[in-house]
Amino acid sequence: MATITALKNPSTVAPLDTYNAGQFYCELLGSPDNRNRHLTALWHRLQQLELLHLRERAADAERELFNLGITFTVYSDRTAIDRILPFDVIPRVITAEDWKTLDRGVKQRIKALNLFLWDVYHDRKILKDGLVPEDLVLGNANYRPEMIGYDPPCGTYIHIGGTDVIRDPRGEFFVLEDNGRTPSGVSYVVENRHLMQRAFPDLMHGFAIESVSEYGTQLGDKLIECAPAGVSEPQIALLSPGVFNSAYFEHVFLAREIGIPLVEGRDLFVDDDKVFMKTVSGPKPVHVIYRRINDEFLDPEAFRPDSALGVKGLMRAVRKGNVTLANAVGTGVADDKAVYAYLPRIIKYYLDEHPVLPNVQTNICREKDGLGYTLDNLDKLVVKPVGESGGYGICVGPKATKAEIDLCRNQLKADPSNYISQPMIELSVCPTLTDQGVEPRHVDLRPFAVTGQETWVLPGGLTRVALKRGSIIVNSSQGGGTKDTWVLKEDNA
Amino acid sequence: MSSLLSRHAESVFWMARYFERTESLGRIIETQTSFQRGRGDDNGWAWIVALYSDEEAFAKAFPEANSENVIRFYMAHTENPGSIQSSIKSARENARALRPMLSIDMWYQLNDFCNRVFAFSNAELAEVRLSRTCDAIKRGCYAQIGVAENTLYHDETWPFFRLGLFLERADQTSRLLDVRFAQQQTGLATDEGHYDHTFWSILLRAASAYHAYRRVHPRHIDPREVARFLIFDPRLPRSIAYCLSEMQAMIELLRRNFGLRNAGPAAERVEAMIEGLQTASNDDNLLQNLHAFNDWVQSSLILLNDELGKAFFGYAKATEASVTLPAPAAISQTQSQSQTQVAR
Repeated sequence: MATITALKNPSTVAPLDTYNAGQFYCELLGSPDNRNRHLTALWHRLQQLELLHLRERAADAERELFNLGITFTVYSDRTAIDRILPFDVIPRVITAEDWKTLDRGVKQRIKALNLFLWDVYHDRKILKDGLVPEDLVLGNANYRPEMIGYDPPCGTYIHIGGTDVIRDPRGEFFVLEDNGRTPSGVSYVVENRHLMQRAFPDLMHGFAIESVSEYGTQLGDKLIECAPAGVSEPQIALLSPGVFNSAYFEHVFLAREIGIPLVEGRDLFVDDDKVFMKTVSGPKPVHVIYRRINDEFLDPEAFRPDSALGVKGLMRAVRKGNVTLANAVGTGVADDKAVYAYLPRIIKYYLDEHPVLPNVQTNICREKDGLGYTLDNLDKLVVKPVGESGGYGICVGPKATKAEIDLCRNQLKADPSNYISQPMIELSVCPTLTDQGVEPRHVDLRPFAVTGQETWVLPGGLTRVALKRGSIIVNSSQGGGTKDTWVLKEDNA
Repeated sequence: MSSLLSRHAESVFWMARYFERTESLGRIIETQTSFQRGRGDDNGWAWIVALYSDEEAFAKAFPEANSENVIRFYMAHTENPGSIQSSIKSARENARALRPMLSIDMWYQLNDFCNRVFAFSNAELAEVRLSRTCDAIKRGCYAQIGVAENTLYHDETWPFFRLGLFLERADQTSRLLDVRFAQQQTGLATDEGHYDHTFWSILLRAASAYHAYRRVHPRHIDPREVARFLIFDPRLPRSIAYCLSEMQAMIELLRRNFGLRNAGPAAERVEAMIEGLQTASNDDNLLQNLHAFNDWVQSSLILLNDELGKAFFGYAKATEASVTLPAPAAISQTQSQSQTQVAR
């Protein structure tokens, strides 16, 4: 196979000529010490595109996303502003071999998480055996006593899971986070692919890429598997908070792909512990609800009484076994930051396996060794409070002032069990079209898994890219975009 | 058993109403540009405000009913819920709630159209260009309705779309027929105007009915015949009779093909209107009673809207007191407010 240097044409400037991935793993070229990943065919093809031409087509693609309404909505005052998630036209490619690992690893985690959830809402063996601290689970805000003793069909709590994966400079995959509540983003996976097929057929031509179109049917099948026993033709519905939710497009997308009604709380009611939707021909029974509303808003009778989004009495219907919620209530206890740290042990405990996808090294400060190591290396570590989300209370050692580190040390000593620590994470990069030309930008990956009896993983996943130079924040709220993610059927790209 | 959500049925109904309302308003404004042609003054615009009973809201927004202000109020004033921009925005908000039911082509077309309508430049809103701008609006609505016709899945969603379309069209045609009355109210026209042929041919053109009328009545433009044509002709897609018969067919479709049993009261309401139309067709003084007739049409349509709401959209059952309307001859003079009614 030719080396990258040999592919350069000295007489012209092509998009990737000045591309330098630095010390990071590059999703196109490979690791820093060996930039010869098996993607030279794609490299060559990108090199033949002119930068200006590439930009024009990228602009067309974004306009199309807008007109197709593949948008998230920002509401201010009374005006709705539809924005597209910035889309980068250079795809992120996953080799067939790497995908095998990811697929296996995601399935393993989902399986372990579902077993863990069943256990903590039934026998609590893992707590009694002392592998996970009891108070961490039972005292967790996301632990729902309403779920104790409830048996979800197929034993599945997390029907839809999203696993956030990153890659270190050697190209090893690590799981950063498990999302077992209502993970979002799958609509972009499918729509990005459709867009690429229309806008860049020449870039894809001849590569054998795994299809992503099956997601809706796969998910629909899994949801039917999890319908209450004895229902011959289950009615599924997707429960959305409504048009004001920023992810409304995704709800529309999913309802269409699965072929089910998109309902809001006001379209449903519970009578005699059964759920019905209000149709033009009167009430119609509903058996499975894919809900995109958080636990606390689902049922004003069981949770927040001020919720106008939910359905009164829904939890009664769940507990009676008349309706299945996907995901089940109370899964938040499994994707909690603190519980995450225990996941390698959880996998070992239930499956007697080593994790296929390791965690980012995590020091549990409630444990003596973890605390000691963290205190000794505060300047090198990221310290995170476990109860917070959205980046609050995080101390980034390598970037913190001495005063900040001292403050962190005091907080840690005062309440060690509220903290974990992790090394600074280095995300891989991917060539990305920017105002300065094609440059490396950091990416992560969220594969989506759907589970009924078994788990199926959508080949690919959402690649989020931090569009700001040097940034590792891939969230759309902070300047993140997305890429099409190709899983190769054979490694020939 | 239908699994169409009541809320979606209501949204598709209102989306169609707003498409039609947008188109009709475009027609009305275009009509005025024709009236205005060749006239030097700037005070010929106030009747549009009277036609839609918007005097109060207009006075709050603008000091004077001159061309510029009236055009702005009805084309681009988002504070006015009856403006073209507001109507198309309301159509889009309903469409947004309906997205899982719409074809992608419909949503694409609507986004495209909305972007166009919200990007109107001052030059496009100026009187000299207004006719073209109104034409663009009309064609945008045609495209919208055509895309629906050709790509929307014709399950029970479809009759609700048609019901919204024709209910609004019947209302708007009755408003078009009321233009002369509104002009008289604002002192623009006198009684003799009833026999003003230019006026009636403009009206025909505003309803895209001029050539059809010519074919049926090749000899002359007779005001009585024009009014009768726009009200009673069963083959003219914008006549009130046509709209009623279309609504009747749609309600029948819901009952028969989709098994919706509670359509009875709405069907009866349409039948009552059809009977009312027959009564009116025997009225020798229809032209003189036109305003009262229009008022009856508009009030009856409000009641029909309510019956549909109660049967399918989950509206609360209202008290039965207000549901009987007198025959068209003895109608009260209250103006209908349905123009500013918004989707609940």
